[in-house]
Amino acid sequence: MTNPYVPILVLMGAAALLALGGIGASAVIGPKVYSRAKLEAYECGIQPTPHAIGHGRFNIKYYLVAMTFIVFDIEVVFLYPWAVAFSDLAVFGVVAMLGFLALITVPYLYEWRRGALNWD
Amino acid sequence: MTLLHYLVLSGVLFTIGAATVLTRRNAILAFMGVELMLNSCNLALVTFSRIHGTLTGQVMAFFVMVVAAAEVVVGLAIIVSIYRARRTVSVDEPSLLKN
Amino acid sequence: MTTFVAPVIDWAALSAILVIAGTGIVGVLVAAFVPASSRRTVQVVLALVAPLAALAVVAWRWSVVVGGGESTLVAGQLAEDGPALAAQAIILIFAVVGFAVMASRLPNGEEAFAPQGAAAPGSAYEEAARRAGLEQTEVFPLALLSLAGMLVFPMANDLLVMFVALEVLSLPLYVLSAMARRRRVLSHEAALKYFLLGAFSSALFLFGVALLFGFSGSISLPDLGTAAATTVGMDGMAVVGFVLVLTGLLFKVGAVPFHAWVPDVYQGAPTPVTGFMAAATKTAAFAAILRLLYVAAPGFGWDVEPVLWAVAIASMLLGTVAAIVQTDIKRTLAYSSVAHAGFALVAIVSLSEQGPSALLFYLLAYGLATVGAFAVVTLVRERDADGNVTGEATHLSQWAGLGRRHPVLAATMTLFLLSFAGIPLTAGFVGKFVAFVAAADGGAWPLVVIAVIASAAAAFFYVRIIVLMYFSRPEESERPGADAVEPGALTRASLVLCALGTLVLGVWPTPVLDLLAQAAKFVV
Repeated sequence: MTNPYVPILVLMGAAALLALGGIGASAVIGPKVYSRAKLEAYECGIQPTPHAIGHGRFNIKYYLVAMTFIVFDIEVVFLYPWAVAFSDLAVFGVVAMLGFLALITVPYLYEWRRGALNWD
Repeated sequence: MTLLHYLVLSGVLFTIGAATVLTRRNAILAFMGVELMLNSCNLALVTFSRIHGTLTGQVMAFFVMVVAAAEVVVGLAIIVSIYRARRTVSVDEPSLLKN
Repeated sequence: MTTFVAPVIDWAALSAILVIAGTGIVGVLVAAFVPASSRRTVQVVLALVAPLAALAVVAWRWSVVVGGGESTLVAGQLAEDGPALAAQAIILIFAVVGFAVMASRLPNGEEAFAPQGAAAPGSAYEEAARRAGLEQTEVFPLALLSLAGMLVFPMANDLLVMFVALEVLSLPLYVLSAMARRRRVLSHEAALKYFLLGAFSSALFLFGVALLFGFSGSISLPDLGTAAATTVGMDGMAVVGFVLVLTGLLFKVGAVPFHAWVPDVYQGAPTPVTGFMAAATKTAAFAAILRLLYVAAPGFGWDVEPVLWAVAIASMLLGTVAAIVQTDIKRTLAYSSVAHAGFALVAIVSLSEQGPSALLFYLLAYGLATVGAFAVVTLVRERDADGNVTGEATHLSQWAGLGRRHPVLAATMTLFLLSFAGIPLTAGFVGKFVAFVAAADGGAWPLVVIAVIASAAAAFFYVRIIVLMYFSRPEESERPGADAVEPGALTRASLVLCALGTLVLGVWPTPVLDLLAQAAKFVV
């Protein structure tokens, strides 16, 4: 019986080989013909604007989404261990987790009512 | 590779993080230093947890992750609002408070 | 695999914390669902009623606990004992008077907070928000949530709970610091500084926790004390861990050398927030230091005293010297608060038996004067050419001659300053007296001598402000003249309470001292 980690290492090696091999092969054998269109930023067929709108700054909405995501993130950190120990924790665990989820919902209610979830 | 190596690594990471906070002038970078410090604490906690054979350290690591996430939210909010007001995230540049 | 045993939760013992945290959450929902017109009223009522209710709960728990009812709760993670309840009561008193100042408005309807925290200073959007009369009512739930963290702090009997409480109390304060209505940029800067240094210090705290956990295999404070007494070797790890944890707490207290944030944050934050933060955070953090020192430290075979001595001496001297050269009233009070952190530390360096009650009394005296003094600062305002009230007149020269134009207000401020200085018949005197006696009883004579000299020097700059208010004429300068505005009903009530408390505790401190003396025993 070999070490159980060997297959994982083999998989990692194969993945690395595939990724690096693809990049390397195209660098070596691919044709290199540059035109103006190729050098421009790709914008789904629209004429690219010289600068991104708002001088390259992200819209503030992205930060809101990021913060919203973090709340979910926090939720999952506790949900995973809870799920693993679910049967041991029994009723106490369910009640505690429901309380936690209820509290986590409060900021969403706030965001929703104050319009943070509207994209426009 | 003994468990001691993990502790040394965590000490090194903590020092790098602290040095980042104290020397970098960019608020975002300083903030990343703090995150590095918190994560090195996590590594130390988990390692000690393994050494002592208890789960306490691992549980603490979860709490630290959550607290770090909350800190990210508050910190980014403050940094973004400063950036919008003055277009810079340098720690030095805001200097009205210096005497 | 150990089987899980659900911890017994003594809800009654947690009720004060639950009242405050619950009200904070209700406050968030109020901000979401109550129409804008009545939102502020609801928030203010909630923010004032909740601390009063919690104060009643703490009084009830006091009657249960003092006299043998001490216990640890929730599998030993929290401790309900005399010092914890006394600290909670003091913090709640500061919350009542502090929130009252936060909630009141100037005669022209202006409040202390930005109309829209998210609006960039000076932007068209901010101007529109100001015109529309928007108000950021979220400050009240934020303050309540911070208060909840402060209430957990004195009870924390376990390093994890202490860490979480530390963050719960800090994070809302970072945001509140950024919300000043005027001098927004200054306020933003204060918040950034407070945040970065605060996060740095909590990371130090956490690394200390990790080391102590590695040392003892437990994060509960009593276990730590036991392990320290029995474990051989690894002393280095324990010492470093303990000092790092202490550093995190001393940062919140604002003691030298962890005071770099204090002047900037006290100056930049909205003044009512500064008052509340200065008084309540300091009390909460000192309560945690108390438990750490009295429960965990005695078991350590080495001495924490040298560290505490150095910090106390440095705080007293540097705070005093720096305060003398300031020209801004808020910065002066900030450095004075650094010095007061040093004086308060004097009470507990020798870990004597009267230490906890002396420290708590000192904090009560200091906090009442602090909330009051910053409330006065909110009232002294500049006026523009048309006679409209504008920002706070924080430059000391603008305070010249205030005593002639506003005798009552100046007298109130004088009372608070005398209490800071420790002049007899004020609470500050009794506080300093009991603190120094506690230190002397523990044998820390040299420290007491330094403390007395430092307090004499500190008295100088408090008296200087008093002289300025009464005996100086406003000089000609490019700064606009200052004038006091009529306080709102809530600020007036808060000022009266603080002034009365300062006087009563100065003239007749015995009942409170007796009460606190009952509270000196820690549960292990």
